[in-house]
Amino acid sequence: MPAGHGLRARTRDLFSRPFRKKGYIPLTTYLRTYRIGDYVDIKVNGAVHKGMPHKFYHGRTGRVWNVTKRAIGVEINKQVGNRIIKKRIHVRVEHVQPSRCQEDFRSRVKKNDQLKAEAKARGEIISTKRRPEGPKPGFMVEGATLETVTPIPYDVVNDLKGGY
Amino acid sequence: MAFVKTHKSKAYFKRFQVKYKRRREGKTDYRARIRLINQDKNKYNTPKYRFVVRFTNKDITAQIISASIAGDLVLASAYSHELPRYGLEVGLTNYAAAYCTGLLVARRVLKMLEMDDEYQGNIEATGEDFSVEPAESRRPFRALLDVGLVRTTTGNRVFGALKGALDGGLDIPHSDKRFAGFKKDEKQLDAEVHRNYIFGGHVASYMKTLMEDEPEKYQAHFSEYIKRGIEPDDMEEMYKKVHAAIRADPTAIKSTKQPPKERKRFNLKKLTYEERKAKLIERLNALNASASADADEDEDED
Repeated sequence: MPAGHGLRARTRDLFSRPFRKKGYIPLTTYLRTYRIGDYVDIKVNGAVHKGMPHKFYHGRTGRVWNVTKRAIGVEINKQVGNRIIKKRIHVRVEHVQPSRCQEDFRSRVKKNDQLKAEAKARGEIISTKRRPEGPKPGFMVEGATLETVTPIPYDVVNDLKGGY
Repeated sequence: MAFVKTHKSKAYFKRFQVKYKRRREGKTDYRARIRLINQDKNKYNTPKYRFVVRFTNKDITAQIISASIAGDLVLASAYSHELPRYGLEVGLTNYAAAYCTGLLVARRVLKMLEMDDEYQGNIEATGEDFSVEPAESRRPFRALLDVGLVRTTTGNRVFGALKGALDGGLDIPHSDKRFAGFKKDEKQLDAEVHRNYIFGGHVASYMKTLMEDEPEKYQAHFSEYIKRGIEPDDMEEMYKKVHAAIRADPTAIKSTKQPPKERKRFNLKKLTYEERKAKLIERLNALNASASADADEDEDED
């Protein structure tokens, strides 16, 4: 029998629900609102058959470009051959989660704005650029005892005890 | 049947998936809840209100609730134990009381949102099917009926509360198929019969038949009615007055009771690790003491 390349081919484990999480899905997925421009992760929920994206998009993150009654339009990058295409798909809300990819960035922006405002009030100039971790500073080794080791001269007679 | 000892193995428990807590308690139907709460995504944060009606053995609860991730928010609520304030003291769980409670919560919400002048609803309670007409300035307050786990048969008290809310001026999508007095054969609602139920006519006719046939049972069953001197013929007047009183002043009064300073405990407090160890040491000591006492006794006997 041939391999078969249907829409949900090879998704036996990918789309299956996790252990002991089968059945009704929690209601927060239905209560979340999404706005155009938000980043969302696509994670297929095998319990809901409608509005499922193709398995390629499982685990991808994209931006919302459209909001309809029960689904969301997401724009995702896909590499096709030697170029990357922005693909626009519509996905039901059960298969979408809000993404935290920008969370770190946004909180950093907020913090930097605050630091800059404070510095301006004090009259100093500060740099809010992120810096990579430098080399560790020098330190004294604690609790070290010194043991001097010297080599002993090679003794032919003793070492050839085994036989020759 | 053969006498087999039931054993649920460790494997059974390891693989067991518990249902949601409210499903285990048998209180929430999640299939219905998902469909009631789901709001169109292109309506963003517009709340979707449910008109929730629940019956206990002695009380009726009618609430307008919207859902949120942190928990449901109650916009307005009415209980049938508030009806004594409006002049109804007995029969607080019958069809007529359900109508009054629905009417009360509807007027309360409309007053809260300052829509009560625009949407008077149906002041004269006939049993006919009444739907609110949209007024010029604002659209009517829309809610969806949430019955819970009740079996929706024709003439259920839940629909009595629904009728009360509709006549109060709320916009609740419905059909008259389940109101008391709907004839399945003719596929039509008999408004007279429904009106009879709204004013407690079914209770009044039962009172009359009992008075003639079984006076002792009448005394036992309707003792509270007799105590307050309510005759079967007064019932309609009484309910009319209650409806008028509700429409006059539906605002809720906050209770002046203070919450108790210490919460009552209904289960044992969980012990800390130290307390449990101390308890174990005590028990072992007691056991050793009694064991040594027994050993001494045995020695003495020998």
